[in-house]
Amino acid sequence: MINDKNSQKIVDIIQNWARKHSLFVLAYGTGCGAIEIPPTMTSRYDAERFGIRGAATPRQADVLLITGYLTTKTLKRVIRVYEQMQDPKYVIGFGSCTINGGMYYDSYNTIKVLDKYLPVDVYINGCMPRPESVISGFVKLQQLIADGKADGATKYKENLDYYRANQKKIIPNWVMPEYNW
Amino acid sequence: MREKATTLYIGPQHPGITGNMMVRLKVEGDTIVKATTEVGYLHRAFEKLQEKRNWLQSFTLMCRFCVPETDPMEESYARAVETIEGREVPERAKYIRVMVLELARLASFMLWYGGQNGSLGLYTIGQWSVGDRNYILDLFEELTGGRVYHMYIWPGGVRRDLPKGFEQRVLKTMDYIEKRLDDYDDIMFNNAIFKKRTQGVGIVDKETAIEYGVVGAVLRGTGIKSDIRIDDPYEVYDKLDFEVPTAEGGDIWARALVRRQEARQSIRIVRQVIADMPEGSVYNRIPNPQKWTLPKGDAYVRTESVRGEIGLYVASDGGLYPRRVHLRGAAYVHGITLLEDVLKGSNVADVSAIMNSLGTCPPEIER
Amino acid sequence: MKEIKSKLVEAIKATYPEATEKDYEGNRLDFYVNKQCVPSVLTYLKSGLGYIHLSHIAFVDWLEEGEFELIYIVWSPSEKLKVFIRARVERENPLMPNIENIWRQANTYQREAREMYGIQFESFDAPQDLMLEDWEDIPPMRRDFDTEAYANKTYFHRSGREDALDVREAIIERSREEIPDFAKKYSR
Repeated sequence: MINDKNSQKIVDIIQNWARKHSLFVLAYGTGCGAIEIPPTMTSRYDAERFGIRGAATPRQADVLLITGYLTTKTLKRVIRVYEQMQDPKYVIGFGSCTINGGMYYDSYNTIKVLDKYLPVDVYINGCMPRPESVISGFVKLQQLIADGKADGATKYKENLDYYRANQKKIIPNWVMPEYNW
Repeated sequence: MREKATTLYIGPQHPGITGNMMVRLKVEGDTIVKATTEVGYLHRAFEKLQEKRNWLQSFTLMCRFCVPETDPMEESYARAVETIEGREVPERAKYIRVMVLELARLASFMLWYGGQNGSLGLYTIGQWSVGDRNYILDLFEELTGGRVYHMYIWPGGVRRDLPKGFEQRVLKTMDYIEKRLDDYDDIMFNNAIFKKRTQGVGIVDKETAIEYGVVGAVLRGTGIKSDIRIDDPYEVYDKLDFEVPTAEGGDIWARALVRRQEARQSIRIVRQVIADMPEGSVYNRIPNPQKWTLPKGDAYVRTESVRGEIGLYVASDGGLYPRRVHLRGAAYVHGITLLEDVLKGSNVADVSAIMNSLGTCPPEIER
Repeated sequence: MKEIKSKLVEAIKATYPEATEKDYEGNRLDFYVNKQCVPSVLTYLKSGLGYIHLSHIAFVDWLEEGEFELIYIVWSPSEKLKVFIRARVERENPLMPNIENIWRQANTYQREAREMYGIQFESFDAPQDLMLEDWEDIPPMRRDFDTEAYANKTYFHRSGREDALDVREAIIERSREEIPDFAKKYSR
């Protein structure tokens, strides 16, 4: 294995270039945003041009697309799904309700700020975001990956205690496996 | 030898599921012996929020109840508020409402084509129909400014009049889609895979349908002629000429036949509405929304959506805010008790197709 | 329609003299009944008079009067009439008769009522949770449950929403700009 810094840099560039062109999105429609995913994936907008396509299981996916509000019940599953995903992994927050709660700001059952619970790389705003803005969000993510700045997963591991405390605050009955990375 | 039953979880994260919900199956071999649904992953408590929003703010929440087809909810709410208040709606607005509702139905049918066939592994038709659906969404975008959430049919009429030349563009799109529907038939109903996977699968018979309060295309698939647009007509449906298709058998195939005919009927209604549309105002102005109160009373209105009858109960206590809004979508009936019973005895591979066919829309169940 | 309605009123009154009716415009007719006779009225409507479709069960919390109201809406495809059966139950330890054996789909409504309002049903056996998970507060759809206070207490909020109550005032606050007179009229 090459150990000197400059060679590692070149390897990173090649790796990031490869990663950015094959983003497998986990097929998990967590909210109403899932309605704009079929148009994005089909003939008119055809997101596969950018290497974006669906993946059936968390272990094969690179991107977790949070399509809209998360109820506490779903959050529990989303955390589990996110922790099952393998590196490299990225999170995209989709829609206004992931950013600040949107129109559900006073709802007793939805979380308001997604990045307190999961590390979000890119937010796409709007209710509902158009397929163009979904694609532009993915392109932004690709830029971040190429620059080596999409490091949400690393942040999550480094600050696991912070995220866990926040998650456990709203999920009282915590029966999930503790992964040991 | 009797096989041991295993428990199998389908969803909430599963590519074949129709949204964010879960079905817990007990299977022997690949036959389901017991199914339990678990819903609530999308419970946003709309009805609670509406108790703290005024009558106009509540209206913006209405369309978010079920995403594939948002307009019936808006229309129900608008009509319920008008019934409580006794507000008149201009004739032209009624025609525009019917046009929007039918366009929304058509858009939802196109999505159903994709979902139903995708669940059986036939992906071509999804690429076609979901792509063609964009043409209808373009019309919505021009008319209302939004592709998915329109917030167009509000109490007192509609938000604005049709743009110049809009009718011609609608008719042109309808011609195109009618032509495309034949193409879908070719690869869907003439397809041996589709026939084999759907005939005799997911059967709902007449007695079950009545006992479970089944509505919409699922009820018509059992041979019972029932449509809210005819039985309990609203807006201008009593002045229009259209048929209610039925089919015998009560399986997925029968429901697909019904929906195939209904999509064509929607096109027929849109054409009629455009031909008959009168001139005039489209909006009966409401008072200042911040001070707008409704008299004490309640209303229950029903609307026909693609999945079936939607019932909306609205109660007012004479104040600025709704006392209670309670929506009962078609999926509320189909998605829990009926689904559990239909799945019993069927094959694991058919779960997704059955859910699509029954019109299970989790956001409508959970609200 | 008038005939159908008066015939129905007669039929119901003959069996349930304490029921009161209220007529509405269009195809709607309301009956106010005691909570004990809800199952028998519904059975009579379903098997005797052809009201085979249970369209809706709505729940309303009348906090000021200390009662919950349950509204059973049934529909007859042959008579084209919506009949509302309205019953009230006290808010303290509410207990309603179970109608699951009349219409199987009432199961879902009753589960929802139990979870969202805390209304119990007699000999009703179904899983406790429908939509919520690990809920420890009072049933959330009750009027005395404050959803905003709960949300503020439980969840994080992003700053920036505090002045969103009146957009116009917020704009002045930020830009120190006067509203012209004509615009003031439309401001709250």
